[in-house]
Amino acid sequence: MNEKRRFSGRTLLVLSLLFFYLPILFMIIFSFNDSKSLTHFTGFSLRWYDAMLKNHSMMESLYITIIIAVLATIISTLIGTLTAIGLSQSGKRMRRFISQVNDFPLMNPDIVTAIGLMLLFITFQIEKGFLTLLLAHIAFCIPYVMLSVMPKVRSLDPNLADAALDLGATPMQAITKVIVPEIMPGIVSGALIAFTMSFDDFIISYFVTGKGIKNLSIMVYTMSKRVNPSVNAISTVVVVLVTILLIVINVIPVIREKHKGDRIESRSSRGWKIGGICALAAAVLISYFGIHQSSSLPYAGQTLRIYMPGEYIDNDVVSEFEAQTGAKVVIDNFDSNEQMYIKVANGEQYDLLIPSDYMIQRLKDEGRLEKLDRSKVKKTLKKMNPYILDVAYDPGNVYSVPYFWGSVGIVYDKTKVDREDLEKEGYNIFLDTKYKSDIYLYDSERDSFMMALKALGYSMNTESHEELTKAYDWLKQCVETMDPEIVTDEIIDNMAQGRKALGLIYSGDATYIMSENKNMGFYMPKSGTNIWVDAMVIPKGASNKDLAYAFMNYINSYEAAEANSLYVGYTSPNQKVEKYLSTHDFKGINAYTPRTDYAADEVFEYNDKTRKEIADLWSDVKIAASNAD
Amino acid sequence: MKKMQQLALPYLIWSILMLLLPMLLIVFYSVITSGNTIIPFRLTLEHYVRFFTDPDFLLILWRSLSIALETTIICLLLGYPIAYYIARCDEKRQNLLILLITLPMWINMLVRTNAWIGILSNDGVLVQFLSLIGFHDVQILYTRTAVLIGMVYNFLPFMILQIHTSLSKMDNSLIEAAADLGANRAQTFWRVTFPLSMPGVVSGIALVFLPSVSSFFIPKLLGGGQFFLIGNVIENQFITVGEWNFGSAISVIIALIMMLLMMLVRKAEKKSAVQEDRS
Repeated sequence: MNEKRRFSGRTLLVLSLLFFYLPILFMIIFSFNDSKSLTHFTGFSLRWYDAMLKNHSMMESLYITIIIAVLATIISTLIGTLTAIGLSQSGKRMRRFISQVNDFPLMNPDIVTAIGLMLLFITFQIEKGFLTLLLAHIAFCIPYVMLSVMPKVRSLDPNLADAALDLGATPMQAITKVIVPEIMPGIVSGALIAFTMSFDDFIISYFVTGKGIKNLSIMVYTMSKRVNPSVNAISTVVVVLVTILLIVINVIPVIREKHKGDRIESRSSRGWKIGGICALAAAVLISYFGIHQSSSLPYAGQTLRIYMPGEYIDNDVVSEFEAQTGAKVVIDNFDSNEQMYIKVANGEQYDLLIPSDYMIQRLKDEGRLEKLDRSKVKKTLKKMNPYILDVAYDPGNVYSVPYFWGSVGIVYDKTKVDREDLEKEGYNIFLDTKYKSDIYLYDSERDSFMMALKALGYSMNTESHEELTKAYDWLKQCVETMDPEIVTDEIIDNMAQGRKALGLIYSGDATYIMSENKNMGFYMPKSGTNIWVDAMVIPKGASNKDLAYAFMNYINSYEAAEANSLYVGYTSPNQKVEKYLSTHDFKGINAYTPRTDYAADEVFEYNDKTRKEIADLWSDVKIAASNAD
Repeated sequence: MKKMQQLALPYLIWSILMLLLPMLLIVFYSVITSGNTIIPFRLTLEHYVRFFTDPDFLLILWRSLSIALETTIICLLLGYPIAYYIARCDEKRQNLLILLITLPMWINMLVRTNAWIGILSNDGVLVQFLSLIGFHDVQILYTRTAVLIGMVYNFLPFMILQIHTSLSKMDNSLIEAAADLGANRAQTFWRVTFPLSMPGVVSGIALVFLPSVSSFFIPKLLGGGQFFLIGNVIENQFITVGEWNFGSAISVIIALIMMLLMMLVRKAEKKSAVQEDRS
C-alpha cells in the first residue's frame, strides 16, 4: 500500500516536473531560434539577444521588476515583523481587526485588490508610477510576511522579552538580540514569499502603475500578441540569473555545514539567501546605471516617452535615433485607441502619441493636443503622399504628422478560398458557412462594425440606430453560425502560418503575411473599406516637445522610414519610400499600396453619439461569441 | 511589555489606508453613477441590476466559477500525492524537490504562459504528438482546455507547497503513536495525517481558487479573444470601456462570492477538526 503510494507519488512528481519545465525548455530553445517561428527551429542564432539588449523598455522592465521586488521585500519584511511582534502584546480587538484587514489581499481575488488600490490612487490624485507601484507591492506583501511571522511570535515564551528587559536590555536590544533570532525562520520564509509574490506579480502592478513604469509582466502583456522572440531571450536571462542565485544560496550552506553543526547554521545560511538577493539587485542596479552614461549629443540625458500600438516600430530605427540624439526612448504600447484614450484622459503623461485618425479628432476636439509648430515639420510634410494630408480628422495637419497609413481588407489563403466567392460575396463571405470555423475576426469595434455596415451597403460613419442594429445582427449571426476566432495581432503569425482560410485585416499586416507566405492574398471588397491614417501627435503637457519634433522628422526621413516600413509592413507616408518598396521589396504585394480615390471608401470620423453604442454592441457581440460554444 | 504594543500602531494606520479604504472605495464606486456639474454623482443600484439581469454576464460568471473549481480539484488531486511523496523524503531531497518546484515560479507567470502558445498551437509539439498517436485535427489552443492547462500549470505549485508545508510540520510521533495503537496505514492516513494537513489543503485551495476565478491573462493568451471570464469583463470595463462604476460593481460581486465560499471552506475545516477531536 505504502509502496504503491510512494510509487504513484513519484510518478506524478516526475510528470509534474516535466509539465513545469516543458514550457521553460521551449522558451530557452526558441530564444536561440534563427527565425521568428515559435514552432519550427530553423537554426541557431543570437539575434533575439541582440534585439533584447537594444530594447530599452525591455531592459528597463527587468530592472524595475527586480528593484521593486527587493525594495518591497525589505520594507514589508521590516514592517511585517515589527507589527507581528507588537501585535503579540496587543489587545484582542486590535489583533482581530488587523488580521481581518490583512485578509483582504489574501482572500480577495487579485483583481479586486488591484482595482481598490487603483481607485485609491486616482481618488486621492496620487500620480501613478514607480511610487504607487512600490506602495501597492508593499501593501500586498506585508500580510504574507505577517502570515508567516505571526505563528513564530505566538510560539515564543511571553516572558522571554521581559526577561531580557529585566536583565537590562533596551527594548530595541530585546527585539534584535532576543526575539528576532528566535523567529528568524518565519521572517526568512516571509521575506522569500514576499519576494516571489512581488517578482511575479502582474495583475496588481498592471492596474496601479503609470508613467511608463512597467515590470516584466506588464511588458509581456502589453507588447501585443505578435510573436517577439526577444521575450524568450530576456526570460532565458531571468532563468539563468535565478538558477545561479538559487544554486549559490543552496550550495554555500552545504559547504559551510561541513564545518559546523547544522541547526544554528541553517539559520544563518538563510541570511545568506537574503544577502544573495540583495547582491544580485545591487549588481543589476550598478550595471543598469553603468549603461546609461551621458554624452555630448544634442539631447543627451533626455527622455522621449512614446505611447503607440505594439510591434509597430523597428527597434533598430529607435536605437539609431538614440545613437544620433543621445536621448533615451521609452515606448509604451496599447491594444486599442480606446485603451490609449482612457489612460491619457486619466492624466498619464507622454511626449508623443500615435493614435488613429478618428481618435486624433476626439483628442483634438477635447483640447488634449498641442498645436504643432509648422516650421518644425514643414519639410517632413512635404515628403508625404498628399492623399493622406489635410484629411477631415485634422484639416491642414495642424496637430498631426502621419506615421503609417493603409486600408482594411480580407486576407485569404489562395489554396482554400475561391477568388470568385470573394468577388461575389465581399464581406458577406464571413457569413458563408462553407468557411465555418476557418475565419478570424479582428477584435476592434470600429473595424468589425465597418465590415458589417459596408456588407449591408451603409456608410461606416452612420448615425442611424437602425443601421447599427442591423450591423449588430450581422455580426451576431457571424459569431453564432461561423465559429470565428476573435483575435488581435496574433492573426499576423497565424495567417503567415496558414492556419485559417480568411481574416479581416489591416493592409500592413497583410503585407507582412504575404511577404512571409506566398499562398496568401489580400482583397478589398467593392462595397468599400476604411482608409485610415495613424499619426503622431503631441499631447498637452508634454515635457519634451523638441525631442518629439526631432522624432517626427527622423522617423519620416528616407532611411528610417524605409527601414521601419520594411520591418512592420505598413505603408509609409513618405511617398518616395512607398514607391520604392512597392516596386522592390514588396513587389507584387497589392496590400502595400492601398486603394486611393475609390468612392465607396471612407475615413472613420469620430462621433460621440455612436461611440458608446458601438462599444456596447461590440462588447455584446464578443460575449455572445464567448457563449456560443 | 506594554511598550512593544506600540510597534503595531503604524501598521494600524497603514492597513486602514492601504487595505480597508480601497475596499470601501470599490463599494462606493459601485453604487454611484456620474451626475451633472452641480451634483457630481448620485446613488444607484443600476450597475448591480444590469449585471444580474443580463444572462450573458451570469453565464460568464458561471463559467469562471466552474473553470476555477475544475482547476482547484485537479490541483488538489495532483498536488496532494506529490506533496505527500516529497514530505516522506529525507531532508536534503525534500529541499531539492521543493527548490525544483519553486524555481519555475520565479520566472514570470506571463512569460511561462506565453511559452504554452507555441506548444499548444496547431503545429506545436503537443498537437503533432497527438496526431502521431492517432488523434488528428485536435484543436487545443484557444479552447477551454488550453485555459485549463494554463491555470493548472500556473497554480499547481501553490497547492503542492501549501500541503507540503503542513505535512512536513507534522509531528511524526503522532503517526508512530497511531501505528502503536494499532491503526493500519490507511487508517493512520485518513484519521491522523490527512486531518492534520487540512490547514495546508485549505490554504492551498484558497491560493488556487482565488487567482483562477479572477485570472484574465490566461484566458486572454490561451483562450483567445472570444474566451471571456469574469476577470476579462472587469479588465475590459476598466481599461477599454472606461465604465468604472459597473466594473466596481462586478468586483464587489466577485469579492462577496469569494468571501462566502472561503467562509464555507473554513467552516468545513473547523467542523472536521472538531469531529476529529471528539472521535
